[in-house]
Amino acid sequence: MRAAENGRDPRLKAISDAIRVVPHFPKPGIMFHDITTLLLDHKAFKDTVDLFVERYRDMGISIVAGIEARGFIFGPSIALGIGAKFIPLRKPGKLPGRVISEPYELEYGTDQLEMHVGAVQPGERTIIIDDLVATGGTLSAAIRLLERFQAEVVECACVVGSPVVQGECELKEKPLFVLVEPHY
Amino acid sequence: MLSLQKLASLSAPLSRRIEFRGRTRAPLPRYLGTPETFAAAAAAANDRRRSVAARANRQLSLSSGMATSFEHSNGVRKGAKAVRDQHMASEGGQDSRLTKIASSIRVIPDFPKPGIMFQDITTLLLNPEAFKDSIDLFVERYREKNISVVAGIEARGFIFGPPIALAIGAKFVPMRKPNKLPGEVISEEYSLEYGTDKMEMHVGAVQPGDRALIVDDLIATGGTLCAAIKLLERVGAEVVECACAIELPELKGRDRLGDKPLFVLISSDI
Repeated sequence: MRAAENGRDPRLKAISDAIRVVPHFPKPGIMFHDITTLLLDHKAFKDTVDLFVERYRDMGISIVAGIEARGFIFGPSIALGIGAKFIPLRKPGKLPGRVISEPYELEYGTDQLEMHVGAVQPGERTIIIDDLVATGGTLSAAIRLLERFQAEVVECACVVGSPVVQGECELKEKPLFVLVEPHY
Repeated sequence: MLSLQKLASLSAPLSRRIEFRGRTRAPLPRYLGTPETFAAAAAAANDRRRSVAARANRQLSLSSGMATSFEHSNGVRKGAKAVRDQHMASEGGQDSRLTKIASSIRVIPDFPKPGIMFQDITTLLLNPEAFKDSIDLFVERYREKNISVVAGIEARGFIFGPPIALAIGAKFVPMRKPNKLPGEVISEEYSLEYGTDKMEMHVGAVQPGDRALIVDDLIATGGTLCAAIKLLERVGAEVVECACAIELPELKGRDRLGDKPLFVLISSDI
């Protein structure tokens, strides 16, 4: 679902306007939504975090899981705002100590997402944060990692995305919350 | 909140590892010299840490600052001492926050390769109070310093930098590995132990005269921080300070920063 179902929150326009599109990155045909320009606008960046905090603060969330690397930019501030733990979900070989690993599909080939063993306890209510959702491949891998330790994934949350995820990965029927839709 | 016992189980206590393996461990961490067995190496390291910490305590107690030093005897291999900036007034509240932060950080031996004692801040992030305290300590230091840019180094600088930037009213600029930032970038090469790497920053993110703070989780040799300083100075920013949660003073990263000051929460001798 999109933020502010009861009418568009006035903060959303500035957030959307602050995100720039870089055509043909990382390759021809991709319209890359670049959130770094949002981070240069202090008020819009703060509003972004506030919108997520307002949504999740009363939902009993004990874990915010952020997907490397741009999920690290938003996730910790949200975790601090709602009093939750922050768990980084990382590319292979980055997390020290014992990890579990989940493969996911790329356009060509596969990649892996890793999480620390012991970071999550069974029954913990979790949200997953990334800057953008496209096919939902990485978010689906993140859901699988958390569910392997019996965490309850309450919602996936992204700054940018279509409310309905296209393609084969449908986030295992977990709700998806996005602030703004992609500009085309 | 993770208890110390839980932390101990996450990074296997040394004595258990020696019994399990039942053999001499090689290669030995270079700074432990050349004792013949791993048990002797561990004992030597413990003695060294205790004497370093004791000496540091005596020196620091004579200065205007205060330090707390502690070790865990339950097998979590960590001899970190918390060092406060000498210009900050000593307060009981300050000490307890640093103690909580330091005890939340776990050390993983031999990661990413044998001999390296990896300081893992992910356990700090699992302790919301301690994580908040670490951010608060940076925010308290920088909020009145007119910082307009917080530059965070990929990827763990992305965890600490944005909450600091949001709290002090600054922009956040990510400093990234090559080819991650879209659009026009400038690039700075820096040395690794073997070979080189590159750090990139967006053109136009930072303006001449911007007062910048650079944030990362840890400073070791100072190579990445130096690259970040150069990138910011190339576009005319003034680098006010570098800020890290942890310093490894043996690697002398602080000296490598030249005239740029460094502020850290925790100084670790291992």
